[in-house]
Amino acid sequence: MNTKAQLFCAWCGVGFLVFFTIGWWFIAGYIPPMSPAMSANEVAAFYQENTGLIRLGMVITMFSAALSAPWVAAIAVQLKRIEGDFPALTYALLVAGAVGVVVLVVPPMVWTTAAFRPERSPELTLLLNDFAWLFFVMTFSPFFIQNLVIGLAVFSDKADAPIFPRWVGYFNIWVAILLIPGGLITFFKTGPFAWDGILAFWLPLLVFFGWFVVMFPLLLKAIKQQALLAEPK
Amino acid sequence: MNAALQQVKKPTPHVPGEVGIWVFILGDMVIFGLFFIVFVYYRGLNVELYTQSQATLNQNYGAINTLFLLASSWFVAMAVDDMRNKTVKLAPVFFPLAMLCGLGFGVVKIIEYSEKLGAGITITSNDFYMYYYIFTGLHFLHVLIGMGVLVFLWHRARLAAKHALTRDAAVIDKDMVLIESGASYWHMVDLLWIVLFPLLYLMK
Repeated sequence: MNTKAQLFCAWCGVGFLVFFTIGWWFIAGYIPPMSPAMSANEVAAFYQENTGLIRLGMVITMFSAALSAPWVAAIAVQLKRIEGDFPALTYALLVAGAVGVVVLVVPPMVWTTAAFRPERSPELTLLLNDFAWLFFVMTFSPFFIQNLVIGLAVFSDKADAPIFPRWVGYFNIWVAILLIPGGLITFFKTGPFAWDGILAFWLPLLVFFGWFVVMFPLLLKAIKQQALLAEPK
Repeated sequence: MNAALQQVKKPTPHVPGEVGIWVFILGDMVIFGLFFIVFVYYRGLNVELYTQSQATLNQNYGAINTLFLLASSWFVAMAVDDMRNKTVKLAPVFFPLAMLCGLGFGVVKIIEYSEKLGAGITITSNDFYMYYYIFTGLHFLHVLIGMGVLVFLWHRARLAAKHALTRDAAVIDKDMVLIESGASYWHMVDLLWIVLFPLLYLMK
């Protein structure tokens, strides 16, 4: 049994949350989110005034993003226990999780590009800022698939003592659906469905965060249960 | 007397379907509730625009669709009731009827959308239409998922009708968990529309 390796991977999920919050929120100051209605000069001023903090914050954010890889892997190991020899949903989770890392790594790199030459033409900084925010908030699809396949796998668990309780399946599908409004931000510059809006940004962000908080103890429990079962009698 | 009273067991409260489905249903209703609060708040900031845009909606379509969903919920409720019997007769007929109502809802919705789009009204026309398209669109997504659920329930009903001889209490109990879960979801889709309809089409 590799219980320790599994626990390490699960704790990487916590690491992801902590470092992401420090880098993206506390240091770079992207919360509250910038408004998509800001003018080019306002956006350029933000990068001119916070250049150093954004550069530092984005290094940490970029690093934190990859910590979601072991986290997804730890969930995948438990899904594999449910699925057995032909774990299609587990593989889907791994592929979607890998793409998820990319979706979390690219926006910090674009934000840091915006802060790389703060003296450049404001129009160009506006373009980079738009690209980073759209990429970050709008790309719900890999996370949608990630939560969907976890839900489906939990439902397929017919064991007497299932690895995850069935409500976790419903919870994951609910989370998957809640991430969808992010896809609407391409249409709006203001209001609840803009990239700084309550329904397209705050709600999915809160739900994504809540998903970690709910899944983490359940994952630890599943790993420990597996370790107990493997102990020689 | 007291002892006798104590012996009368409190009936365990019955939760329809499996408990997990209520995580989804209540969660979904909280989110739609939040949608509605956001709508009412922004409407309050610019009532004139909202009432003007609302006047261009066809209330008949909204009303017909309300009837479609209410009827389909009734069919589903009757079918669920029938599934509790050893000999299942009505459910294999009533689930398709419920699906037919769901299909009617979809057809009316598509006619309505194409009329609006044909008139050049899109999701970016104004704030009212933003909510109109997004809320009804997300609800429509729920209807589509619900149609899939109803196909599944219909399949279970047909199996139940076919195997009436081996349908003992344990089989019925197992069936009912699935059937009630699916039916609860479909009733939620109906309920969301019953709030959505007055909010978008009627609110003065």
